Amino acid sequence: MNQFSVPLSRRGFLGAAGAVGGAMALAACGGQSKPPTAAGPTGSAAGSAYNGPKVTLAFWNGFTGADGDYAKKMVNQFNSETPNIHVNMNVFQWADLFQKMPAAVTSGNGPDIGAMHIDDIPTQAAQRVIVPIDSVANNLKLKESDFAPAVWQGGMYKNARYGIPLDVHCLGLFYNKDLFDKAGLDAEKPPTTKDEYMAALDKLKSKNIQGSWVSPFQFTGGLMFQSLLWQFGGDLYSSDVTKATWDSDAGVSALTWMVDLVKQGYSPKNVGQDADYIALKNAKNAMNWQGIWQVNEVTKLTTTHIGIAALPKIGTKGGVWGNSHQFVLPRSQGNDNSKVEAAAYFVSWFIKHGADWAKSGKVPADNNLAKSQAFTSITGLKPFADEVPDVHFPPSVAGINDATAKMYDAVNAAVLGKADPASALHTAAKQASQVLSDNSKKYG
Amino acid sequence: MTTLAQGGSDSTTERGTARSGRVQVSKTHRRSLPAQIGFWALMALLVVIFIAPLLWMLVTSFKTNEDATRIPLSWLPRPWDVSAYRTLFGAGSANPVLRWFFNSLVAAAANSALIVAVDAAAAYALARMDFPGKRVIFGGVVATIFLPIFVFLIPNYLIVSKLGWLDSLWAIIVPSAGGAFGVFFLRQFFSTLPRELEEAAIIDGANQWRIFTRIVLPLSKPALSTLAVLSFLTNWNDFLWPVFVLFSPDKLTLPAGLAKLQNAASVNYPIIMAGAVVASVPVILLFIIAQRQVIEGISRSGLKG
Amino acid sequence: MTTSTVVRATPRVSRRAGRVRRSGPATPYLFLAPYGVLFVGFILLPAIYGLWISLHDYDYLLPHQPWVGLRNYTDLFKSGSRDGADFWRSIRATVIFTVFSVPLLVTIPLGIAMLLNRKFPGRTFFRAVFFTPYVLGVAVVGVLFRFLLDPTIGLLNFYLGKLGLPDQTPWTTQVPWAWVGLVGMTVWWTLGFNAIIYLAGLQEISPELYEAAEVDGATAWQKFRNVTLPGLRPVLLFVMTLTILASANMFGQSWLVTKGAPDNATRTAIFYISQVGLQQYRQGVAAAMSYVVAIILICVSLLMFRLFRQRDV
Repeated sequence: MNQFSVPLSRRGFLGAAGAVGGAMALAACGGQSKPPTAAGPTGSAAGSAYNGPKVTLAFWNGFTGADGDYAKKMVNQFNSETPNIHVNMNVFQWADLFQKMPAAVTSGNGPDIGAMHIDDIPTQAAQRVIVPIDSVANNLKLKESDFAPAVWQGGMYKNARYGIPLDVHCLGLFYNKDLFDKAGLDAEKPPTTKDEYMAALDKLKSKNIQGSWVSPFQFTGGLMFQSLLWQFGGDLYSSDVTKATWDSDAGVSALTWMVDLVKQGYSPKNVGQDADYIALKNAKNAMNWQGIWQVNEVTKLTTTHIGIAALPKIGTKGGVWGNSHQFVLPRSQGNDNSKVEAAAYFVSWFIKHGADWAKSGKVPADNNLAKSQAFTSITGLKPFADEVPDVHFPPSVAGINDATAKMYDAVNAAVLGKADPASALHTAAKQASQVLSDNSKKYG
Repeated sequence: MTTLAQGGSDSTTERGTARSGRVQVSKTHRRSLPAQIGFWALMALLVVIFIAPLLWMLVTSFKTNEDATRIPLSWLPRPWDVSAYRTLFGAGSANPVLRWFFNSLVAAAANSALIVAVDAAAAYALARMDFPGKRVIFGGVVATIFLPIFVFLIPNYLIVSKLGWLDSLWAIIVPSAGGAFGVFFLRQFFSTLPRELEEAAIIDGANQWRIFTRIVLPLSKPALSTLAVLSFLTNWNDFLWPVFVLFSPDKLTLPAGLAKLQNAASVNYPIIMAGAVVASVPVILLFIIAQRQVIEGISRSGLKG
Repeated sequence: MTTSTVVRATPRVSRRAGRVRRSGPATPYLFLAPYGVLFVGFILLPAIYGLWISLHDYDYLLPHQPWVGLRNYTDLFKSGSRDGADFWRSIRATVIFTVFSVPLLVTIPLGIAMLLNRKFPGRTFFRAVFFTPYVLGVAVVGVLFRFLLDPTIGLLNFYLGKLGLPDQTPWTTQVPWAWVGLVGMTVWWTLGFNAIIYLAGLQEISPELYEAAEVDGATAWQKFRNVTLPGLRPVLLFVMTLTILASANMFGQSWLVTKGAPDNATRTAIFYISQVGLQQYRQGVAAAMSYVVAIILICVSLLMFRLFRQRDV
């Protein structure tokens, strides 16, 4: 800022703008100063304290909205507890993060710590945006037995650990209790099986309520489809992830069931983005397969009452879409060991405070924390912890999201009536298999 | 169309219209009553269409997140709530909207000034001088107008990073000044200026620089201000590039900053709308103040008289 | 910085040379130099670099960028290739959007400019009203209209229902309605910009021409046909070129409002290119597609200029 305000004003070129720039440069200096803290290293992070010189760490993530508020609070707490480490958190939309972070890392402007989803880790690892952190995991004494297997595996790429699991977030059944009452359903007993689900829908329908809105978009239709796919015994990909298999009989049954909800009038046609959820909050939609991240919002609603339960079992077994946020360390140009140590310390601190993080609407990745009183006492989150054994995660393969996107296209086409479920899934699976083979060539 | 003095203030315009309604004033022909009614009805309809979404934006910014999507929809917040603004302006806010606003202002103003300065000189050479390679240069420059911005994204990122301009407003100010549009636009304009003007100046002993600065530029104020306004707005609204090259919360421009307020999984309408209100109100005020100069500046009336 | 150099370098000789030689041979290049540096640095080099990228299987994050020659281009024309069908579908979407939005964005703003060109009380207010949407970024306009146009919970269908009209129109999830929604919001958003340019053009037309037409007893339509339109021809061409370029680059609206729905029918070319280049990290293919779009645009523009020129004769 300073650099540029000087030549501008010297040249008398846009004097006013230059002055603004100068003022801002001053403001920037003022804004950077850290709050003075007298607190020493705290006992709560006992075990792996940081004793190196004073460092400032940049922490980038996609925790927009309410997530970000919780993360900010925790970062502030960390900063005041740890005088020698100052963490600057920077939030982007996830989509932007994956443009910006690789670009910044290659030009030496990357952050010191990042957070991302497990399906992004392999791609970023293959592109050398993030580095293996086995040693950090070892130092933190992370044990595989403390985590759900998929979460633990999700942080691995080519036999090296790149991600330290922070949380699990998954779908649950959000239902409108007022509508349940209106239809004469027991608001404390949401449906858990297909029969109960359909019976509830029929009761709701008799009161002119479309009980289960189906979104044609990734949020939430695409996530709903994946859950159903697993419930019907299918999977997204073959076990070696060389073929997309969502066009199996299981997949066709899953998508057909969703499309039938629309055809039979349990859902309006042509639902827009987010409309399924907004309708739920407005007592227009009775049941929504929604993400855990909405828990905080629905428990605070003043005009209606939303219940939260585990997903019903429509197919033959349990199946829930899920994902996990994990900490990663971006590649850095220099070899500042104290920064790496400080970053490791921050990560361990954050994970130990996983119950606080869970309040933002997450299940802690660490099983012990997920069972702890601190977590289970949080309103609305318990059903999700119970689901964890049924949660399926995306496979750890570089570029996997390019292939999965085709599945979202198929769901969109089928739910909007542009193609029948079988042919939509089949076309998409064929394209995705081609993408997988391209990717395996590209990323090796 | 009208004999009223151009540039008269609104109050005089109003008086003038009122007068012309009562008595026949000069050549201005009076509109009949049905025509008047039709005109105002049309205007009212247009204003409703244009204002309704803006008003919705404004009232939404004063709603709670729950109320913003509550059905039945309501134009009045239930209750009025300023928490969206508090989030934006509150102490220690992660979203320094005012900073983004000033960043945008500085970047757009500097970018537009740079564009006008360099484009005018280049366009002048291309319009009024003969030199070897002129056609090739002009053709090559114009052809690049048609390349989608996407072509430049990655290469320019690498160049800007080599220059050390990442995460600085230089990246927003300078690269887009290479765009060919302004050169094309000004060259077309300069070509229409009468030759006699500069021939007279040459006889008076002026050189090209003098002709350019003393004759051509003053005569081209309308075109230059048009280009300045267009460039300013383009830069002001640019989204893809700033999101790509700016990182730090205090370095962002408004569009890049407002993008941070959005969330893929759920939309907090009040905050987004409050951000939009904060972003647009100053520009609208600027427009209301400057519009007469802009519009009447764009017109070349002085030239033809 | 350029100012002083040019002043000093411009040869004083020109004075003595008089009418014949007006400047030294270096003068034009000195005038061009400042822009030239920016053009070469940020347009020409990147454009050439982009061309180079388009000949590779390019991911700037990977250590190796395999050379593929023209394959990124030829694949686009091969049926069954990964991007061929999707790319041409996205071109089709862009063409549909352009064909419907450009005529509206050329004519409606002209009408509004003519209304605003009259003298009437509150003119400043009205100008501001029409111009205001343009200062909003696409991100805001997109989120706003996604809600207003929502098929089941949106404001538009709510009011249409109150008027006794169909209230289930899928403005964001089915074609052709989604096109109506996208074109409509784009007209709302950018109309004021074109109107302001027209307004400036209208004020250039000398009042005497209208007076002369009136003396000849011309009707309003005849005045429009014979005075306004010819006077606006350069402005029209300008507005049309700008609008076509903007429409062809459309991406934010469908990205935010329809997400390409239904079944990617509203996924435009730039939308698709950015998915390929930024989400799938396949910058070689994305660059090749960008160049194909550019070639199409150049052809369209040449055609348009030719049409206008013929009318001139």
